[in-house]
Amino acid sequence: MITKELLKDYANKLMFDMKDEEYQTLLKEFDVILKQMDLISNIEGINQVEPMTFPFELQDVELRKDENIRTITKEDALSNTDSKMGNEIRVPKVVE
Amino acid sequence: MSYLDKTIAEIKLSLDKNETTVSSLTTEAIERAKDYQEKLNSFVTITEDNAKNQLDNLDSVKDSPLKGIPYALKDNFSTKGILTTASSNILKDYVPFFNATCVNKLYNKGAILIGKTVLDELAMGGTGTTGHTGPVKNPWNAKRLIGGSSAGSASAVASGIVPFSIGSDTGDSIRKPACYGGIVGYKPTYGLVSRFGLFAFASSMDHVGCFTRSVLDSAIVTDAIKGKDEKDMTTFDSSNINLTANINNDIKGKKLFYIKELVDRNNYQDDMDEELDQILINFDLIKEKCKNLGMTIEEVSIDKNLLKAIFPTYITISCAEATSNNSNLTGIIFGPRGAGDNINEIMFNARTKGFSELIKRRFVLGSYILQKENQEKLFLNAGRIRRLIVDKMTTLFKEYDAMILPATGSIAPTFRKEDIDKLSDRYLLLENHMAIANFGGFPSITIPSGFVHNMPIGINITSGIKQDEKLLNIANKIENALTYKGQIAGGEN
Repeated sequence: MITKELLKDYANKLMFDMKDEEYQTLLKEFDVILKQMDLISNIEGINQVEPMTFPFELQDVELRKDENIRTITKEDALSNTDSKMGNEIRVPKVVE
Repeated sequence: MSYLDKTIAEIKLSLDKNETTVSSLTTEAIERAKDYQEKLNSFVTITEDNAKNQLDNLDSVKDSPLKGIPYALKDNFSTKGILTTASSNILKDYVPFFNATCVNKLYNKGAILIGKTVLDELAMGGTGTTGHTGPVKNPWNAKRLIGGSSAGSASAVASGIVPFSIGSDTGDSIRKPACYGGIVGYKPTYGLVSRFGLFAFASSMDHVGCFTRSVLDSAIVTDAIKGKDEKDMTTFDSSNINLTANINNDIKGKKLFYIKELVDRNNYQDDMDEELDQILINFDLIKEKCKNLGMTIEEVSIDKNLLKAIFPTYITISCAEATSNNSNLTGIIFGPRGAGDNINEIMFNARTKGFSELIKRRFVLGSYILQKENQEKLFLNAGRIRRLIVDKMTTLFKEYDAMILPATGSIAPTFRKEDIDKLSDRYLLLENHMAIANFGGFPSITIPSGFVHNMPIGINITSGIKQDEKLLNIANKIENALTYKGQIAGGEN
């Protein structure tokens, strides 16, 4: 059974939280979603099918040459961060 | 009638005859974008400075069918030096330092970018109501939505601001808003157009495509942006595909099919209303038109349970892929940064504040689907359903040239809270079938086919992979047999 605590755990695993009322909305939504999801499992012989992860087999895939190409400058890499120091993105100390 | 109201092919002729100028077209497009913004909210950014720069440098661009044609771009395509938000607060200040491949191609062909359009946040939604700058309105009736996720790109073309725009399509995000807006929406075969620079939603189903006001224009735009790209390893060599050159081929003897269960009135006894009735009558009319054009059209039956699984399969695969694809949105490399004493708190708070409620709900669903205990039942079974559907369609496309169906089971909804039953056959069958083309990467196009309650409706045509020439050829002939080519909301047509 889906509970608010479970949903909060799923959200926290993806590193965000929601408001209480938003969890309530989501709980109601899950009632419908789970019924829709049942439609996936109720197909005869489904277990014998290999899951598909890509639209079709690619016919002309080739490996790129193993060349060292600089694709991004320091200035570009730093251009969208809110906090930087010198040539680096600044974050709080990671290793205590 | 302004030259801007014409199709790309017509505008180009007028430019070549010096009846109008690129400068006046661009100026008018930007004026319209500004004038309609309050009413429609099509744009996140109107790129006036970029348009001026492109105009200043246009002499150095060699001639092409798109040279001097103004266009709009969904705001989930990277544009160098131009704000690109994906209509999300978590990217509200993000300015890319490179162009998406299709943007570079359009730049090199001389198409003039006049604005970045509003989408459902991170392209995850079908209503055009969840962008961080507000909902997009339908130019045919501003009390109704235009659909999403490529909402602003659809409304910009439907309202006559630009003759074409670029969108992305993961479930039906080009083809549904095209239907609601009375215009053409085309999603080519997966890999025909590079996805490099498009913000990923569900990579195995994301497609780049276009909105236009004629099928020929869709061919012209796609011929300009297609091609193998070393930055997207799923692209293929399409130098043997020429959509524009084959648009008028003879279609006599082509074989079409439709899926019985999707248009069978017996399936909608509980859901039937005048709107759906009119849509099904319109489809019967289109079938007759196809026969009059010399094509055959046959009914094919597919297991209804498999068809009802299309929407949940789409939701399962897309939400699961999206949770992974959007894990880079941490607020650290691109702002706005969250508050906190350590890196985890910073990321946690940035994501809590930066994502809207709807996106969070979709991510939680993705997280649920990917929990170890649910993977077999949900994620892997969805992949199995995907294969069953794609295999069935691939078999059918060996016998038939294309599938034809109503694009949706309703006209554009109003902004009132939805009261549609999400477990009804109407919702699960006719409202959400177009994801079939994303499962298999099939080329798929929506063209306008009539009006119900003064709102446009459309038909959707889909072919086998890499059969884009044939698809556009058939769609072009059907369009020519109807009277909706080039129509603009509130226009003379």
